[in-house]
Amino acid sequence: MDALTYLFSSWIQPDLLFLTALGAFAGIYIGAIPGLSVTMAVSILISFTFSWEVNPALALMNGIFMGGVYGGSRTAILLNIPGAPAAIATSLDGYPMAKKGEAGQAIGLSTVMSFIGGLVGIVVLAIAAPTISEFAIKFQPRDYMLIAVMGILLVGALSGESLAKGVFAGAFGILLGTVGLDPMTAEQRFTFGSVSLMNGISSIALMIGMFGVSEALLQIHHLNAQAVKQKIDRIVPLWGDIKRHLSLTLQSSGIGVIIGALPGTGGDIAALMAYDHAKRITKNPEVPFGQGAKEGLIAPESANNAAVGGAYIPMLTLGIPGDAVTAVIIGALFIHGLNPGPLLLLEKPDMFWFTVGNLVLADIFMLIFGLTGIRIFTKIIECPKAVLFPLILLLSVVGAYSINNSVADVWWMLGFGVFGYFMKLYGYQVAPVILGIILSRLMDDNWRRAIISERESLPDFALGILTSPLSATLLGIIVFVLFTQTRWWKRRFGAAPTSVDAIKSN
Amino acid sequence: MQEQPTTRRPGEVVFTLILLIGSLFLLWQAYGISGFSALSSAGAFPMAMSAVMVVSLAIILSNTLRKPAPAAVLERLRAEILPATVVVFCGLILVYSLILDWLGFIPASFLFLLASITFLQGGRFKRAFGLSVLSIICVYVVFRLVFQVVLPEGLIPERAIIAWVQSLFSAGI
Repeated sequence: MDALTYLFSSWIQPDLLFLTALGAFAGIYIGAIPGLSVTMAVSILISFTFSWEVNPALALMNGIFMGGVYGGSRTAILLNIPGAPAAIATSLDGYPMAKKGEAGQAIGLSTVMSFIGGLVGIVVLAIAAPTISEFAIKFQPRDYMLIAVMGILLVGALSGESLAKGVFAGAFGILLGTVGLDPMTAEQRFTFGSVSLMNGISSIALMIGMFGVSEALLQIHHLNAQAVKQKIDRIVPLWGDIKRHLSLTLQSSGIGVIIGALPGTGGDIAALMAYDHAKRITKNPEVPFGQGAKEGLIAPESANNAAVGGAYIPMLTLGIPGDAVTAVIIGALFIHGLNPGPLLLLEKPDMFWFTVGNLVLADIFMLIFGLTGIRIFTKIIECPKAVLFPLILLLSVVGAYSINNSVADVWWMLGFGVFGYFMKLYGYQVAPVILGIILSRLMDDNWRRAIISERESLPDFALGILTSPLSATLLGIIVFVLFTQTRWWKRRFGAAPTSVDAIKSN
Repeated sequence: MQEQPTTRRPGEVVFTLILLIGSLFLLWQAYGISGFSALSSAGAFPMAMSAVMVVSLAIILSNTLRKPAPAAVLERLRAEILPATVVVFCGLILVYSLILDWLGFIPASFLFLLASITFLQGGRFKRAFGLSVLSIICVYVVFRLVFQVVLPEGLIPERAIIAWVQSLFSAGI
């Protein structure tokens, strides 16, 4: 009974209802405007919601997350510019549909399928998370360490230019997380005698810099890119279309949840995998893939929204974020005094059921706003870039300042912003840095606990891993991920079909 | 996975070298925390991570050096890595964060918006002025009044003004 009350608390409290709606609405536009990303929005927003209660803050972020993952599809369909990385696969068939005058149909179909995908993700979250967290209580410290390593490696391996760059970015993030006083022995680490460094580097300043400032600086390169406008016809999709593709939608949602639930991997990879899956199982598409096949639109759109629910699973059960956005949200939970991990569900079941119910609500609002307001939409995405980027930077500066009311955090943010800009230009990903700084404490603590319980003996530690089925499996996955990056594997099996180029050339 | 470019990007070797030198410095610093005293010491984990950084950068450097150098480095550096727009814009942000504390949020942000919008759209001062005023009002209402974020006050006694307006309303009631 209690669970039911928590589940619907955001549905009946007007302020939470409003914030979720506002989040979903804003999320759609943030996702749709190229250059603005959900990660950027959520990381800037965190600093503004410090003084709030945890539920309103979560309601707003859940709404933005859900709406934003969907919103990217709009510009992918209308302008052939994916508004967010998760919509890259959507543009492959969505834009050809729009060119044929079926933009409205494409938007309608992607909205409904995103809604169904989102719902599947949340249902899996509600069912799987309690079971996983019961199981996770039995995890050894070394297992936590291995899962964290796996998460960082997966992001590094799948999204970057090369594994070495991903590994560097991850290790750099973890190292940044160790700056300050050691929580166990109070020894100073990388403080260089400075008092302000003793509390460590603010992970929020780092996130705003890496996701906000660096992205805005990169986008200034394309200030004058002109978009081609499309006409929009009827937007509510045909019932027959939905029914015919329901099986594919559910399969793609399944892929989405699983990829989303893997620590570190999110909607972008899920969407590309689902697109590849749709191509393989659709034997006779009405329209060939790449030329406006509905299947090629449905699969990535349902998968990327299903990945949202999936990404919350490791975050709420293990304290390990499922993707970059949940890495930011986990930062927000820490600030609000919550400690995500297996005990969260036992100690604070209200938080869990609130999140589940609120995500469903965000999904519904996404459907409503997705199927309406298309006129305002075309106006808003025409917002001049010369105003947009200065505004993003202004909000980034204000956001960083408001963390501790100090200009020092603004300096950190700017420094990491410029550094992130160079990293992106030279083919490094910034997501592993963020995952690293979030997971640093967990890895350091668990490493030390694990090695102390083995009396400082490395052979005993290795034996412990190899003799425990769970640890051995996790180690196996890590070795496998590393192995798939070797030249031999790539020559033998080809590169994984996770890039647009790879898919296009298939 | 992104496609690897066939030639080096301009400045790539320098960037990798800077990262490598930085990582070696951090490794030395990590060693200084507690040396090789124990596997569970405060310095062991940072040392392992900085060692991973050094090794991965060494691999990246060797891969980068194997690719042919790009042609017309300086021109491409200016066009692809550091276009004038980005450099000037960075300068504007720097000035903004320097004057923020002293001048206060409203005037500093207004000047920043005015300068950067004028610069990015290449002139049209009147339009930039209007857009800056509009933006600053929106940001102020949303973040200061609705979200109650504390912003640097600086020269304008903004809190006193808000209190005065509130007292006017409460007196009216």
